[in-house]
Amino acid sequence: MNQYTFSGTAKTVTIGAMIVGVVSMLLTWFMGADAYQSRFWSNFLHNGTFFLGISMMAFFFITVCITAYAGWAAVFKRVWEAMSSYMIIGFVFMVIIAVATFLHWNHLYHWTDVTAYDVNSPNYDPILDGKSGFLNSNWYLFGTIIIVGTWVIFGRKMRSLSLAEDQDQGEDFAKHRTMRKWAAAFLPIMGFSSAAMIWLWLMSVDAHWYSTLYAWHAAVSWFVSMICLTILLLIYLKSKGLYEQVTVEHMHDLGKFLFAFSIFWTYMWFSQFMLIWYANVGEETGYFLHRRTEYPVLFYANLAINFLIPFFVLMRNDTKRKFGSLSFVAIVVFIGHWIDFFLMIKPGVKINRDHAAHADGGHGVADAAHGAHDAAGHGAHEVAGHAASTFEAGYTLPGFLEIGTMIGFLGLFFFVTLTALSKAPLIAKNDPYLDESLHHHT
Amino acid sequence: MAHHNKEVIYGLYDDETDLMKAVKEAKEQHLEIMDVYTPFPVHGLDPILGLAESRLHIAGFVYGMIGTLTAFLGMTWVFTKDWPVIFGGKPYWSVPAFIPITFELTVLFSCVGMVITFYIVSGLGPGVTNDYLDPRITDDKFCIAFDKSEVEASAAESFLSKTGAEINHKVL
Repeated sequence: MNQYTFSGTAKTVTIGAMIVGVVSMLLTWFMGADAYQSRFWSNFLHNGTFFLGISMMAFFFITVCITAYAGWAAVFKRVWEAMSSYMIIGFVFMVIIAVATFLHWNHLYHWTDVTAYDVNSPNYDPILDGKSGFLNSNWYLFGTIIIVGTWVIFGRKMRSLSLAEDQDQGEDFAKHRTMRKWAAAFLPIMGFSSAAMIWLWLMSVDAHWYSTLYAWHAAVSWFVSMICLTILLLIYLKSKGLYEQVTVEHMHDLGKFLFAFSIFWTYMWFSQFMLIWYANVGEETGYFLHRRTEYPVLFYANLAINFLIPFFVLMRNDTKRKFGSLSFVAIVVFIGHWIDFFLMIKPGVKINRDHAAHADGGHGVADAAHGAHDAAGHGAHEVAGHAASTFEAGYTLPGFLEIGTMIGFLGLFFFVTLTALSKAPLIAKNDPYLDESLHHHT
Repeated sequence: MAHHNKEVIYGLYDDETDLMKAVKEAKEQHLEIMDVYTPFPVHGLDPILGLAESRLHIAGFVYGMIGTLTAFLGMTWVFTKDWPVIFGGKPYWSVPAFIPITFELTVLFSCVGMVITFYIVSGLGPGVTNDYLDPRITDDKFCIAFDKSEVEASAAESFLSKTGAEINHKVL
C-alpha cells in the first residue's frame, strides 16, 4: 500500500488531543493569576516555538539530505514533507504571539517595557537600550513574519516540486535539480535565521543575559525532538502495515541520529554551562544559578533524561534495531526536550512577570528590591533579587495545564502531519535516490 | 592464527554483487566457506555468512569505563588529596572542570584499547607478516576461499567456475 488514509482512531485521537489542548488553554486563560496572563502566553510561546521548530527541522533535514546527496531516507521523505507542512500553522501562532507582544497584551519580555528606554525615567535600563536595535517590538513582529514566512515559502515550494516529480515520465530528474538549488539556498538562510529567531523568541526572555551557544542548544533540541517524532510516526505507520519498504536498517539510522544528536545536545548544554560556571561573571552566572537553585529537579532531570537515557539505552547495536527500546527512548527524549524548552522560558517569564508586578506597584519598591540599576549589576540583581520564591505550578514544574497544552499542540501537529501525509503517495516514486534507499544497509 | 600447510582453493570475483550472489548460493549448496576477503567492508555480507556479532564493542565499553574512572578518580585524588590548589575560587573537587578530561580519557582508552585488542585477535602487529591468498584482494578483487580439507575440491571448483570466478590454488 502506497497511500495513507487519515481516518478512524488516528483522527479521533488527534482531534481529542486538540480539544484537551483548547480546554487547557482556556482554563489557563480564565485561571490567570496576573494581569498579563503570563502563564497562558508563556505556554503558548513554549509550545508554539517548540513545534514550529520541529516542523522546520524536518524540512531542514530534507534539504540537508538533498544537498549532501544522502539517499538513505528517500523512501520515507514524505513523512518529513508532511511534518514540514505544519510550518504554516506554527507561523500563524508565532504571528499571534508577536502581535500580542507588539500591542503589549503580554509581558513575556522585559524589553517590551517602554520606560526602560527613557533616559529620564528611574526605570531607564542602559543594557536594554543598547540592545534595542535588535530587541524591539517592530523587529519581533516583522522579523517573525519575514523569516518564518521565508521558511514556509521554501517548504511549500519544495513540497510542490516533490509532488510534481511524481508525475514525471522518464528519468531526466529536472525537478530534482531544481530542488537541489532550493535546498542549497535554504541551508544558509536557515542557519542564520533560526539563530535570530531563537534569540528573539527564547533568549530575550532573559533580556540582560546572552550566550552565543544558546541558539545551537535550542536548535539541537528541535532537531532531536524531530527525530523522536519521526521514529514514533514511522513505527506507528509500520504497525498499520504501511511503509513495508522502511526496514530496520532505516530505523537503525534514525536511532543513530537520536543517539548522536542527544550527545551533541549534551555537548552544547555542557559547553554553555561550563564556560559560564568557570568564568563566573555575574551577568552570565545568574541564568544558571537561578535555574539550579530554584528549579533543581528540572535542571538535573533535563540532563539525565536527555543525555543518560539515550546514551546508555541506545549505545548498543540491537537497541537501535528493536522498536520497543527505540520508541521508549524517543518518547522519553521528546518529553525531555519539551522540559528543556520549559526551563529556557518559564524562569525568565516568571521574573519578568514579578518585575512587571513590582513596576505596577510603584518603582520605589522595585528599586529597593533590585538595588541600583547600574549597567554591570542589573542582570545579576534581576535574578538574584527573587531568590526566595515558593513553588508555583506552571512555573516551578509543568502543571496539568502545561501538559494539556502540550498534548493539544502535539495533537494538532500530528493532525496536520497526517492530513498532509494522506494527500500524496507515501513513496516518492521518481526520487533519484529511491533505489539506493530501498537497498539501504547500515 | 597460522594454520600451516593448509591447501586452499579460492575464487576471485570482479565486484561485490557477484560475490554476494555466490555466497548465497554456496550457503544453499551447503559448501563450507573458509573465509571471504574483500578490499572494503561489504554491507549485508555478515548476515549472509551467518557471522556472529563482533564482541569488540563490549571490550571498547569496558576500556571506556576504565578511562572514565582513571580520569575522574585520578583528578579527584590529585586535586583533593595530593596537591590541592584553588583555581579561580572554585572548590577543590570541581566536577564540571573534570568533565572534559574525563571525556577525553574515556575516548582515548576506548580507542587505543580496541585497536590493541583488534590487533591481538587478528594476529596483526608491527613486524608481523601474514600469509595472504592474493595481493589483489586488497585492491579490486573479491574472494571466496575454501579449505580443501573441509570441502571436496571438485565441488568447490565447479561452484566457483559456475558463479564466474577466477579459480586459484594456494598452500598457506
